[in-house]
Amino acid sequence: MNSLTTYLFIAALLFSLGIFGVFQRRSLIGMLIAIELMLNAASINFMAFNRFLAPDPIVGQIYTLFIMGIAAAEAAIALSIIVALFRRLRSINIERAQELRG
Amino acid sequence: MTSSWFQDPTLLAAALAALLPFVTFALIMIFTRPYPKLSAAISIAAVSVSLVCAIFLLSSHWHLEKPIQYAAKWIISGDIYIPFGFLLDQLSLVMLTIVAVISFLVQVYSLGYMAGDPGFARYYAFQSLFAWAMMTMSIAPTMLQFYVFWELVGLASYLLIGFYYEKFSASEAGKKAFVMTRFGDIAFFLGLLLVLFNFGNLNILDMNSVDVTARMSPALITLSAILIFGGVAGKSAQFPLLTWLPDAMEGPTPVSALLHSATMVAAGVYMFARIFPFFSHSAAAMNTFLAIGTITMLLASTMAMVTRDIKQVWAYSTVSQLGFMVMGLAAGSYFAGIFHLTTHAGFKALLFLCSGVFIHEFETNDFFEMGKYGGRGLKVPMVCMTVAAAALSGLPPLSGFFSKEAIMGGLAGLHNPVWLWAGLLGAFLTAYYSFRLIFSILFPRKIEKTHQGEHGGHGHGHDGGHHHVGIYWVMAWPLIILASITLVLGFFHTPLENFLVGHHGGAEAHGGHHAWLLYVAVGLALSGVGLAWLEFGRKGASQVGFVEKIEPMSRLFANRWYIDHFYRRFLDYFIYGIVSNLFTRNDRRVIDGGIDGICRATVGSGWALSFLQSGMLQYNLMVMFAVLALVALYFFF
Repeated sequence: MNSLTTYLFIAALLFSLGIFGVFQRRSLIGMLIAIELMLNAASINFMAFNRFLAPDPIVGQIYTLFIMGIAAAEAAIALSIIVALFRRLRSINIERAQELRG
Repeated sequence: MTSSWFQDPTLLAAALAALLPFVTFALIMIFTRPYPKLSAAISIAAVSVSLVCAIFLLSSHWHLEKPIQYAAKWIISGDIYIPFGFLLDQLSLVMLTIVAVISFLVQVYSLGYMAGDPGFARYYAFQSLFAWAMMTMSIAPTMLQFYVFWELVGLASYLLIGFYYEKFSASEAGKKAFVMTRFGDIAFFLGLLLVLFNFGNLNILDMNSVDVTARMSPALITLSAILIFGGVAGKSAQFPLLTWLPDAMEGPTPVSALLHSATMVAAGVYMFARIFPFFSHSAAAMNTFLAIGTITMLLASTMAMVTRDIKQVWAYSTVSQLGFMVMGLAAGSYFAGIFHLTTHAGFKALLFLCSGVFIHEFETNDFFEMGKYGGRGLKVPMVCMTVAAAALSGLPPLSGFFSKEAIMGGLAGLHNPVWLWAGLLGAFLTAYYSFRLIFSILFPRKIEKTHQGEHGGHGHGHDGGHHHVGIYWVMAWPLIILASITLVLGFFHTPLENFLVGHHGGAEAHGGHHAWLLYVAVGLALSGVGLAWLEFGRKGASQVGFVEKIEPMSRLFANRWYIDHFYRRFLDYFIYGIVSNLFTRNDRRVIDGGIDGICRATVGSGWALSFLQSGMLQYNLMVMFAVLALVALYFFF
């Protein structure tokens, strides 16, 4: 039970949930949350590989810390984009942002 | 290498003579265009240096044994080697001198004629360009170099004929001259290519040697000779390309003088003489040329009999004299053709320069009007023009007499007497139409004094009488020089002949039948003058020529035998109607249609594909994900 496969399985499940969320949600906030899920799935992978395979126990954790930092920055940028979009469209529904329709 | 340039005076002189006018042209066009006086001074200085060089070359090589050739590599392509340089032999030396003399005199004369013209500097630039092209052409060692400068002569004459380009008829005439001569030049170039591919060489000396017969079949020689003659026909206004020359009268009169005597039109005959041995390999070609020369000569004489424009008369007479030269050359008497070219250069330049004075004075081209307004009052040009017209008619002891006799002698040597009779008829007509003009000016039916008086007041000198007289004399001096050349040149017949053909050639020209021919020719010329006297000169003469009494004939002549009409029709129906119509359709349908089709296809496919662009972020993401997944699958399995 306490093996690498379990963690990888959980990470894959989390990633799939993230993908599904990005495709399915129509609200931009929902999409942002789904993307965070995907990032977390990647973090879990790093930690799992670090725990079971890597000789140096520190590297994977540093990576995870980085990912958290980047996720924070990304969330800030994404939220500002969403706010800008909201100002323009008075909505954060992705179906309203279709100006590039052919 | 550089030191030898200065050690060899011949090369230096040739290079100076040939290149200075070009330098002048560039100088005037680039730097001195705003300064007309300076431009004219530079141009005349350059052409006088050329003249000095030419005379130096001629006199220092008077006893030339064999041709001198200077050549530098120009084009090497495979086996074909084409040099660029100078070829000095008897013929090119004589031609160089003629060109230099006439250019010099015409440029001096133009000082008066063109005074005050807004395009004065431009005019001198073109004159220099013309002189450069013509001189370098005269001493070209290969036919390719010859061809290049031949075309430059064409360009320069186009520029000068269309000098008054604001005038529609002038620009049209320039265009006509350019396009019509181009027709001949296409044939010329094809002929040259034939020679180049079959003989492998365009060196004039090689083409004139007997090797040609060994390397090319007789049929091929005939074909290429006739094609090359196309160039002569275009430049020298031979039948059927003769109609551009009368229109070329639109240019300033000194230009006509230059064009008609020593340069443009003489270039054709000069080319004939240049590769005369090559042409004479083919008897069939020579007979064709003889026929063309004869037809041209007679057609042009008839046209000259009805026109009232002084310049047109001399233009037609040029065409007919060129016909004479071609006849002489084609009849095999090399010297006669060149001698006539030389003498003609003198007296034709004189005729045009004299007419220029009249035109300048009376501001009309109609010689009946000139007579009416007292044309005979201008003593110097009147006397000079009479001398030149007498030379043109072949009256002794003027230069034209000797050269025309030489041609008649050559024609008499042929088996077929038709050519001789045609030549004599031409001589009669020449005398008739030249003296028709002279008598019309000399003995007008009534003189209108009023114009003469008023004319002194409104004359061309804007700053009064003194200026006017000065201009008159600037214009008169070249006339006097040319008239004296015309008077004495005939007596250089024998030395010139010895120089050009060598001592052995003397016997063939003076055949046994020369004596009676002499009297017949002079008699015919005199009767031509007499007829002109009866109709135009004597007191109470009707001043209506015998041709003008026969309505259809005069209409035929005045319309130039409908040659221009034929060309017009041909252009309208064949070129514009069929050929250019087809090209237009090709343009519209195939080319335009093709481009439009491509554009429409692009727009259409873009429109079709734009349905894929829904604008939904998530569909884009899905496609991206699918593609990445597929790529991953492809790489990992």
